[in-house]
Amino acid sequence: MAHIAPEIFNGLILGAFYAVVAIGLSLIMNLTGTINMAHGSFMTLAGYLAFALVGAGTNYWYALAIAPLMAVAVGILMERTMIRPLYRRDPVYSLLLTFGISLIAEEAFRLIWGPNGVPFSPPKGLGGGISLGFTVFPVYRLFIAGALVVIILALVIFLQHTRYGLRLRAAVQDREMISALGTNTQLLYMVNFGLGILIAGIAGVLAAGMLGLNPQSGNSLLMPAFVTVIVGGMGSLFGAIVGGLLIGLAISLTTLYIPAASEIAMYVIMAVVLLVRPRGLFGEEGIFG
Amino acid sequence: MKPIGIWGWVATAILFVLLLLAPQLAPRLHLALTICTDVLLFAIAAMAVNLLLGYTGVLPFGNAAFFGLGAYGAGLSIQNFHVGFITSLVIGTLAGVVGAVLIGPFLLRRRGIYFALLMIAFGQVFYFIAYRFTNITGGEDGMNFTRPPLEGLGIHLQDAGFYYAILLIFTLVVVGFWLLVRSPFGRTLVAIKQNEVRARYLGLNTDRFIFVALMISAAIEGLAGACYGLSIMFAYPLLLDWHQSGDIVLMTILGGAGTIFGPLVGAIIYVIGEDILSTALPWWQIPLGALFVACVLGFPKGLLGTALDLLPGRKNRIEPGHDLDFAAPIIADRETTR
Amino acid sequence: MSDLLLEAKGVGKRFGGVHAVEDVSLRVYAGSINAIIGPNGAGKTTFFNTLSGFYFPDAGSVSFTGADVTRAPSYDRVRMGMGRTFQTSSVFPELTVYENLAVGIESADNLSFRFRTLSRAQRATLDQKVDRLLGFVGLGAVAHRPLAELAHGSQRLCEIAMSLSTEPKLVLLDEPMAGLAQAETSRVVSVIRNLHAELGLTVLFVEHNMRVVLSLAQQITVLDRGRVLATGTPTEISANAEVREAYIGKEVIEHV
Repeated sequence: MAHIAPEIFNGLILGAFYAVVAIGLSLIMNLTGTINMAHGSFMTLAGYLAFALVGAGTNYWYALAIAPLMAVAVGILMERTMIRPLYRRDPVYSLLLTFGISLIAEEAFRLIWGPNGVPFSPPKGLGGGISLGFTVFPVYRLFIAGALVVIILALVIFLQHTRYGLRLRAAVQDREMISALGTNTQLLYMVNFGLGILIAGIAGVLAAGMLGLNPQSGNSLLMPAFVTVIVGGMGSLFGAIVGGLLIGLAISLTTLYIPAASEIAMYVIMAVVLLVRPRGLFGEEGIFG
Repeated sequence: MKPIGIWGWVATAILFVLLLLAPQLAPRLHLALTICTDVLLFAIAAMAVNLLLGYTGVLPFGNAAFFGLGAYGAGLSIQNFHVGFITSLVIGTLAGVVGAVLIGPFLLRRRGIYFALLMIAFGQVFYFIAYRFTNITGGEDGMNFTRPPLEGLGIHLQDAGFYYAILLIFTLVVVGFWLLVRSPFGRTLVAIKQNEVRARYLGLNTDRFIFVALMISAAIEGLAGACYGLSIMFAYPLLLDWHQSGDIVLMTILGGAGTIFGPLVGAIIYVIGEDILSTALPWWQIPLGALFVACVLGFPKGLLGTALDLLPGRKNRIEPGHDLDFAAPIIADRETTR
Repeated sequence: MSDLLLEAKGVGKRFGGVHAVEDVSLRVYAGSINAIIGPNGAGKTTFFNTLSGFYFPDAGSVSFTGADVTRAPSYDRVRMGMGRTFQTSSVFPELTVYENLAVGIESADNLSFRFRTLSRAQRATLDQKVDRLLGFVGLGAVAHRPLAELAHGSQRLCEIAMSLSTEPKLVLLDEPMAGLAQAETSRVVSVIRNLHAELGLTVLFVEHNMRVVLSLAQQITVLDRGRVLATGTPTEISANAEVREAYIGKEVIEHV
């Protein structure tokens, strides 16, 4: 128990990261048909921006709030200028475009902040650990866990209980209908994209202090997030949460016992889920239901 | 599917003359012959993508899995069984097919972005296997092997000899591809790409056609990968990575998906461009990324596709899957199969 | 009467919680022309889609040529002898008329999995079959034009020819006149009449143009709000009080 407990805890945190990234990807994918290959780059971008802000003397908490918003600004600029013309075209184009942007971003990070990553330590108040009797949990991880839970809850409330959230969900289900109802679809696409980037950005800043910050750090979360989307069921909010936690746990526990199989574990889960439920665990539940 | 006409034949003939003369021409253009070989290899790889993207209407972003399997298939068979040149290529080709047979059943149930997403995810499995199974594959460091002699003759193909061997393979693939897309099977694939529901209402089990197309594509991709392995005498996990997939898809789109020689045009620009830029600029990934952006926004039909549009009587060439309903998650008559 | 070709028994289909079609039964006998009519939203197209395998019904069964096909995929039904068209013409827009038909003919002749070009003899047979279909719908002059370049009515005619290319026993036509100009309508009507008269095929079509239905069909099923309102010959249907009532004030009356 003593050595499994921290691994389970870490696995759940990792899983919550996957879930948050997967929800953003899924929102963008379902509404606009864009597989955003640059999603990880926005996480990295927010991480580096927070790092730069803290380095320039900004308080960590301000950085945590400002850096994701700066990433959102960049994201919305990209959406409006480059991705928007592609909505009516085959998904291959937006996929290639965002892939190209992720290449540019990765190289730009390398040029600006160096190839080897930078140390981004959590603020002093979040240092140290809390003893739980059998083990010691780092405070920063507890903080991350709490923050991710808050993000996920906020998303659930936003998407299921606010007028704008409901409208987004309706649009995801039926794009034709929503424009017939007179909603400004282009604005909706933009807000949706911005929302996806915002949560990716916050997750990016949080992850920087735990998983490290280097030019590829965001991209390394992207593949597990894709798998999370598939396992949870395309377009299912609940599925993304369950799928993310499941995969986080699986990766973390296999790392403990069979380190060589840690990534392969998630593909085994994906294959098994698809064999049993071709649409993913909660694919039947409907769109963001 | 339109007949290419007399000028098409002339252009093709000129192209092959240039390819035959490449070992003589390359030094004058300050190009290494290996770059010419790479152009042909990646043109083959991009043709595999073209079969799916340009003719079948599914996006194989994850094709590098088959490419890398080909390289590892060739390398492992040379290292462990000391097979000859041709045998190693055959084994590499088969390795690609085996990969497709393994992941194909998972992909076939979906279309559009869902197919693409599944292929990205499943394609990456092989990357992690190569990366993690260090004692077989050499892990992150990759594996070195030697280029084996040609069966029976005992000749070691080097430089121009190797180039001509790859040119022969390229030519065979082009001819095979050309015949394939003109066959009833090729016509059926194009029909599926344009309107899968209609194809099903003509009595065609479209899943089977897409699966066979996937296997043919994986075979070509595996062959290209095996050739690449023999060219650099090395196989490493990044060959299986999605970044490699992205590069090959880019070459296809850059040249023009849905055209016979589009992949070659794309491979010429990409490979030579990479060679020049990566030696000149340490940050060459930025112009590469910009090339993706420019190609998508500026030349969606690719250079060859756009050029062919300018020819009289060849208007309305299609871009891949024009305005698909990407959200169509599954074929309708399966929708309620539960 | 002759053989029972298609039979639907108690077919139901829900979308979400809404019953689009409930307990609908229908019999189509070989060699007849049948129509399904009803006001907008009556469930005509939904029912039609359960017959052709576009959806599977939630309740009831469908049998074709004596075999149960309730959950058979569309391509299997086509191989058993069912052809269909769609409300908005479903064709291969970038292929020529010739190629559109060739895809279906090759499918019926089990040539679709041929990886080489056709032999000279196969090519001759294909040309002959394409010519026959083109002659039937009168599109010979545009054989080598892409569908996307053709007028709406010609696309519809090509689609009908495509549905014939698989050599069906039964042809299902979903609102064949939808969106057509007056002149095109009469051309399509005469083609449908010839499907029956010249080729001896069984036809089932959905239509809300009442005049077309009354002049073409031998047997009519009227749907309203997802249920069968009446079944009968044109004379019976036009005399039916309930049917008249269902149509009063509805858009269909304008066509009568």
